[in-house]
Amino acid sequence: MMKELKEHIIRRVKANFTEAEENNDFTYDRLDFTVKKEVVPSLLLFLKEEMGFKHLSHASCVDWLEEGELELVFILWSPKDKIKVFVRTRLDRDNPVMDNMDNIWPQLHTYEREFREMFGVQFTGLEAPDEFILEDWQGPPPFRRDFDTAAYAEKTFWHRPGREDAQDVRETIANRDGEDIPDFAKKYSR
Amino acid sequence: MINDKNSQKIVDIIQNWARKHSIWVLGYGTGCGAIEIPPTMTSRYDAERLGVRGAATPRQADVLLITGYLTTKTLKRVIRVYEQMQDPKYVIGFGSCTINGGMYYDSYNTIKVLDKYLPVDVYINGCMPRPEAVLSGFGQLQKRIAEGRADGAKQYKENLEWYRANQKKIIPNWVMPEYNW
Repeated sequence: MMKELKEHIIRRVKANFTEAEENNDFTYDRLDFTVKKEVVPSLLLFLKEEMGFKHLSHASCVDWLEEGELELVFILWSPKDKIKVFVRTRLDRDNPVMDNMDNIWPQLHTYEREFREMFGVQFTGLEAPDEFILEDWQGPPPFRRDFDTAAYAEKTFWHRPGREDAQDVRETIANRDGEDIPDFAKKYSR
Repeated sequence: MINDKNSQKIVDIIQNWARKHSIWVLGYGTGCGAIEIPPTMTSRYDAERLGVRGAATPRQADVLLITGYLTTKTLKRVIRVYEQMQDPKYVIGFGSCTINGGMYYDSYNTIKVLDKYLPVDVYINGCMPRPEAVLSGFGQLQKRIAEGRADGAKQYKENLEWYRANQKKIIPNWVMPEYNW
């Protein structure tokens, strides 16, 4: 039953969007489509209006640093058929531009602002203030994988140096109580 | 008579004794530490028996209790709250995060050393400090007040430029009112 339903959905999507790559193994209650970024708004609208995927569960951004791409993932849920669909698209990492889609689901507005701030994805036509969560941010988008958090924190903030007489707690207690430290634990000791 | 040095000393002692027994706390619940405040204040540990009570607004409070990490965004609000408070005022840094960043030592968005930005009178360490530790911290503050050593507000006034420079390094877009108490 579920398999027939999935095949039906895949057929409908493939008939309307011939370029959509589907990647499904029918073991989970979900479907997976990868499309070009130009097609995403119309595919989302098609799934919402025609196929009953009324609910946007989640949208997220994945940084594929080695491949030089950012991936946007939209997860939709059909309350009637109890099935999920993943819509994926890849953007160029150096110049990530995407269409604004907050007229399809208003809650995408928040996700888009987050992607813009945290990953540097630009959405054409997005009407929102520049700042979302970060205030007075001066560095590069912080959720990208080539952003070195520790180095940035080292550069921006003061750090209190540790105590010079700081001791290894495990070793100190073991010496005091005459216990043996197991071999596997020794490699975690300072 | 009151300008006489020895009389001033006696006045100070009485003043400090009174201040130490009436500590009104403004709990600035920035981080997870705020969850330790309800048990401290309510019947189990009952901080009120030591004269420690919650205050409603910054202008009525004596102690600013900063519970947990401060992001650059909340630091701005904390500075504003601190400057609105009237003398006498003290700051308690609560938890590891205010001391050295704690588990957020490499976070891009939280400050690590609070006393570069605000004068801290007492630090309570721990992640989390239990209510016993919080009460002990308040005890320490009371001791310092009685001895006249809790002079963070004076330090802040005298070294305002240094504090401002540090604060503006983190908050470049400085749009803040000036409070002149």
